[in-house]
Amino acid sequence: MPFPFGKSQKSPAEIVRSLKENVAYLEKVDAGDKEVSKNLASLKEILSGTGDKEPHTEAVAQLAQELYNTDLLISLIANLQRIDFEGKKDVVHLFSNIVRRQIGTRTPTVEYICAHTQILFMLLKGYESAEMALNCGMMLRECLRHEPLARTVLFSEDFYCFFRFVELSTFDIASDAFASFKDLLTRHKIMCADFLENNYDKVFTEYEKLLHSDNYVTKRQSLKLLGELLLDRHNFSVMTKYISRAENLKLMMNMLRDNSRNIQFEAFHVFKVFVANPNKTQPVLDILLKNQTKLMEFLSHFQTDRSEDEQFCDEKNYLIKQIRDLKRPVAPEEA
Amino acid sequence: MSFLVSAHEESQESLTSLSRRDTMGSFLPDSSSYELLAVIGRGLDDLMTVNLAQYRPTGEHVAIRRIDLESCTNDMVTYLQGELHVSKLFHHTSILPYKSVFIAENELWVITPFMAFGSARDLICTHFTDGMNELTIAYILLGMLKALEYIHHMGYVHRSVKASHVLVSADGQVCMSGLRSIFSLIRHGQRAKVVHDFPQYSVKVLPWLSPEVLQQNLQGYDSRSDIYSLGITACELANGHVPFKDMPATQMLLEKLNGTVPCLLDTTTIPPEELSLKPSRSGADSGICEGLGAGSIRHSNGEPSSTSAGHPYNRTFSSHFHAFVELCLQREPEKRPSASTLIGHPFFKQIKRRPSEALPELLLPVSPITSCESSRPQDSPSGMASLESGLSHLEVDDWDF
Repeated sequence: MPFPFGKSQKSPAEIVRSLKENVAYLEKVDAGDKEVSKNLASLKEILSGTGDKEPHTEAVAQLAQELYNTDLLISLIANLQRIDFEGKKDVVHLFSNIVRRQIGTRTPTVEYICAHTQILFMLLKGYESAEMALNCGMMLRECLRHEPLARTVLFSEDFYCFFRFVELSTFDIASDAFASFKDLLTRHKIMCADFLENNYDKVFTEYEKLLHSDNYVTKRQSLKLLGELLLDRHNFSVMTKYISRAENLKLMMNMLRDNSRNIQFEAFHVFKVFVANPNKTQPVLDILLKNQTKLMEFLSHFQTDRSEDEQFCDEKNYLIKQIRDLKRPVAPEEA
Repeated sequence: MSFLVSAHEESQESLTSLSRRDTMGSFLPDSSSYELLAVIGRGLDDLMTVNLAQYRPTGEHVAIRRIDLESCTNDMVTYLQGELHVSKLFHHTSILPYKSVFIAENELWVITPFMAFGSARDLICTHFTDGMNELTIAYILLGMLKALEYIHHMGYVHRSVKASHVLVSADGQVCMSGLRSIFSLIRHGQRAKVVHDFPQYSVKVLPWLSPEVLQQNLQGYDSRSDIYSLGITACELANGHVPFKDMPATQMLLEKLNGTVPCLLDTTTIPPEELSLKPSRSGADSGICEGLGAGSIRHSNGEPSSTSAGHPYNRTFSSHFHAFVELCLQREPEKRPSASTLIGHPFFKQIKRRPSEALPELLLPVSPITSCESSRPQDSPSGMASLESGLSHLEVDDWDF
């Protein structure tokens, strides 16, 4: 049955099959191919319409079905490197659109990817290749909106690659990886809390390296994210664990004195949780007591030019009061 | 990391084959590979410094935009990251490519090709204070339209089209830049028809923005708003300053909504009485023909360059040029032609030669910055920062643990 969309007289199924063959050809010749780009452009038109023309629902359904039947998404991502610059963007467009597809409450593409999780890991590994990192990042984040797909990535060993990707020297790629990393750790709250609790040691060992990064942005953004994670009420037990450890307090106290005011400020938002904790562990309390006078002195002069930020000033005054009132618990009587 | 290796190979190659130089990502993401030379510009409310620099591995000149991130809020950093992301999705000869982007100390470094004539705004500020000649403008506008055609085709609205965002290279190549405010109509694989978002950090762009962008109503706006801005830019290039310059923002908004249309200042738009006057700058050079209280508009353009030749606007632009500007500046967005249509406008028929042959000649006596004057950068990023960090290391044990 021919569909009436402009120049292209082929049906969506025909285009998908033709694209599949052309992509297979790419693998052999290892060079860009005009046919692939043309096919991709036609598919993009079917999905989003052109100019004033709305996309044709029936054509979209046929296209989607054929994508699943032929496993075209997998071959496209596997050969993304070989597709030309504009073609890569068309793949992202096609992918994003089809992942969003809904039939009632069902999201068939998400189901398809759940059954073919290699797609997620191919996208993740895409960060290693400069020419397709951002394309893969966009597709990956589209997947991460869906909890089952985010869970697959988060609970996998490959998740730990992100600790490397967010420090890549090419800043645009590192930024994109950080956006995905943040999505993974914050978007689906209950699942994220579950993940952080169950993988606490491994995750925070890696995370601490980011806080020590030589890269200014990595350091600043990961510290900010740490504050957000700890202050999210879903992560209550993770926070409790984090603020029970003296070495974390030491790190934050040192970061309060970082060269960068922005880093000092973000560190303040983590530091305050240690002080506000009504059930401080002994090692934490010891450090605070040892530095009681210094801390009060330090905080009363800390970023005083933020006087217009009322919340910050209130919090600072609260911390000074808390630290002033700190008392060594009465030592238990010797038996 | 594989991409670092390939980036290095690219740069090795560009030593031998200049034609390969255009490949993206051919510069190392490492500040020690660049020798900073003179400061050639500033921007972004002085957060950004632009340096001429020499890329050590090949010796070629590049421009480096350095942005002090420590002075940027978290929102600003996110905003800058957005720009970098978008720039990587564009690949077009009329759009300035970002060759490498990395962090050096507290600074974001963006490596771009060196555009030796600077921006079109630099050219009117430094030399063509009463505007450029028509043919030069035609070359510049055509370059901008080619960039806009691509940007619009990709589903984006530029939202910051102005003379300071178009650059000219030593060999006359015209490139658009200023992608910071760009907005994608495509979200999650769906293409929206209109945008409602008002561009952030755009106070300085207000005179160029279309009435529908400024109006911020439910109808929104689309790529045709860039065409309006192009029309304003045409006036800017021809008159030597942007229309509505120095006007309070609310007044400018009212003027645009009421249908005040800026125009090219010449013998067809300025009454002969005024042109015969000595160039005591009259209300006419506001660039607004139907301006209400033209006399109330102030100027800070400085003295006209040619006092002997009479009034600087005693000149006549072609009717095609006037018609082109009128098409762009129509109040109703849907009446404005698309970038692709405008490329075929008869105004561009006067272009006979390639930009590389014609533009450098047209821009004479301005010459591109060729040698790197040995004016050393005073604010080397590493100097102060390393000193500071050195000091702080001494007292790092201040806390008692």
